Amino acid sequence: MYANPVAYVFSCIFVLIAHIAMLLNVYFNGNYTEVRDVAVLGAAVLILDISYFIVILLFKQTSYVLDFLLILVLNMSFIFQSCFGKVGFDVKHLITCIVCLASCKAGYILCRNHKLLQDKKPYIYGGVIFVMLIVFVFTSPEDMWIRIGSFAIQPSEFAKPLFILACATSIADQQKKHKILTFSVVYENLALLALTAIVCLIQVKSHDYGSLPTFLSIFAAGFLLRICYPKAKFSKKKLIGVIALVIVFVLIGLKYAPEYVQHRLHVDIWSDKTGDGYQQSQALIAIAKGGWFGVGPGKGFLSNVFAFENDIVFATISEEWGLIYALMAIFAILVMTSVPLVNPARSYYHGTISACVCAALIVQMALNIFGSCNLIPFTGVTIPFISAGGSSLMVSGFMVGMLMAAQSPSFKEPKHKKKEADVPTWRWQE
Amino acid sequence: MESLDTILCIAAAAALDVCIFVLLLTAYRERRSSKKTWHELSHDMVLTEQNVTYELGCDEVLIGRHASADIRLPDLSVSRYHAMLTVSNGIWTIHDMGSKSGLFVNGSMVREAVLHENDLITLGNRRLIFRKRRSERVR
Repeated sequence: MYANPVAYVFSCIFVLIAHIAMLLNVYFNGNYTEVRDVAVLGAAVLILDISYFIVILLFKQTSYVLDFLLILVLNMSFIFQSCFGKVGFDVKHLITCIVCLASCKAGYILCRNHKLLQDKKPYIYGGVIFVMLIVFVFTSPEDMWIRIGSFAIQPSEFAKPLFILACATSIADQQKKHKILTFSVVYENLALLALTAIVCLIQVKSHDYGSLPTFLSIFAAGFLLRICYPKAKFSKKKLIGVIALVIVFVLIGLKYAPEYVQHRLHVDIWSDKTGDGYQQSQALIAIAKGGWFGVGPGKGFLSNVFAFENDIVFATISEEWGLIYALMAIFAILVMTSVPLVNPARSYYHGTISACVCAALIVQMALNIFGSCNLIPFTGVTIPFISAGGSSLMVSGFMVGMLMAAQSPSFKEPKHKKKEADVPTWRWQE
Repeated sequence: MESLDTILCIAAAAALDVCIFVLLLTAYRERRSSKKTWHELSHDMVLTEQNVTYELGCDEVLIGRHASADIRLPDLSVSRYHAMLTVSNGIWTIHDMGSKSGLFVNGSMVREAVLHENDLITLGNRRLIFRKRRSERVR
C-alpha cells in the first residue's frame, strides 16, 4: 500500500490542473477552425492522465513522483505537438506517448532487482555489441534509420539503455581486482573501456555525432563512479586526470575532425541564411518573435521549417507558447533528473544507473537546446519526451523506468528463513 | 483582448510551476516513507561501538580507515577498506576485503560470515556490535 495517499491525490489534481490550464490557453489563444478540435484534444489528454493515474496503482511502488512527472511532461508534449502549425489531434504522437509509458513500466520491472541484472552482465555486454552490429551493418552515414514498412527505427537509440546497464556497477564488483605488473586492475573496467571504444568507433563510422556525446556522457558518469567509489567522494587527482584527458581528446577530435564537421563548427548562420544556417537562423528568429509569452498555439511560422517537431522543437515551443513556457517544460525534465538527489538509491548499482540516465537525458537536452540557439553546431538530437519520434520516446521512457526502479528497488525476503544461530557465550557490556 | 491572452499564458505557466512545486513536495514525503521501507527491509539493523551508532543506509556498506568509507574507523590497525557489509534477501553478510589484520566475528577469523543480532565484529583494535536499532528511551 502506498504510504502517501494524500500526496498521491494532490499530485493527480495538480497534474490535471496544469494540463487544463494549457488546454484553456489553446481554447482562447489557439489557431483552430472548430471548437471540436480542442475538445477532442482535451478529452484525449484528460483520459490519458486519469488512465495512467489508475494504472500506476497496479505497480506497488514506494515512490510515484517520477510517474507524475512523466505523465505531466508527456501530455504537455502531446499538446505541443498537436498544436504546431494548427490545433489538431496528433494520433501518431499520442500512440508513441502510450508506448513511452509502457516502456517506462517495462524498464521499472526489468531493472528493479539489481542482483539479477548483475548476474546477467555478460548478456548486457552482448546486447550492446549486437545492437552496434545492427547499426554497423544496416545503417549508413546518409540514413541512420531502418525502415520496416511505414515504421522507421533508429537502432543506435536502443543501445543507450543497454550501455547504461553495462556502465552500472556495484562496490563488490569493483573489489574483484587483479594484479597486472604493478597495477591493480578490475577486468570489468577494461571490458567497459573496450565496449565504449567499439561504440564510439561505430558512431563515428555512422557519422552519428549527435548520439556520440550521449554515449560518452553515460560512460563518463559510470566510469567516474567506478574509479571514485564509494559514496561518490571524488578523488581530486583522478578527477583532474580524467578531465585533462577528456580535454586532450576533445581538442584532438576537433583538430582532426572530417571536413564537413569543421564546416559545421565554423558556419556563420547569418551569412548563409538560406543554406546551412537556414534551420538555426529561422529557429532564433522564431524564439525572438515568440518573446516571453508566445504568439499563441498554432500561430507560429516555424512549423513550415524542416524538423520543427524534433530537431528545433525548443524554438517551435518558444515561438508558439513563449520562452517562459519552453523553459518551464525543460525545468520539468530537469526536476525528473533531480529526483534521485532528493531520494537517493539504496544500492550502489542503482545509484550508478541513476547517474548515467541523468547524464544521458541532460546531455541530450543540452545538445538540442544549445544547437537551436546556435551555441554549438546543430546535431539533430531530440529533447527527451518533448520531441516527436518513436525510438527516442520509447528509449527515454525506458530510462525513466530505470530511475523508478532505483526509487523502488526490490530486496526480496528469503523463501525459507534461516534457523537462528545460538546466542553467543559473550555479551556486550554496556 | 491581448492582455487576456497574456494573462492566460501566465496562468498556464503558473499552473505548471505550482504543479512542479507540489511534485517536489511529494518527492520529499516519499523520501521519508522510502526510508521507513528500507528500515523494514534491512530489519532495522545498525552497527554500534560504545556510544556511537553507525547507520546501515544501503545494501553495500564499506568499513575502513579511508575517508571515503561509509563507516570510517580512523585507527591504524584498521585497513583502508577493511570489510564490507551486504544485505541480500534480508540477510546481512560481512566480507573481508583483503585486510591486513583480518576480520573476526564472535572471535573467529572469517573471510565471509552471515551476521546475526548481537554478533561482535572485530576489525584490528576496533570492536563493533551488530544489533537492532533501539527506540528512543522514554524518561
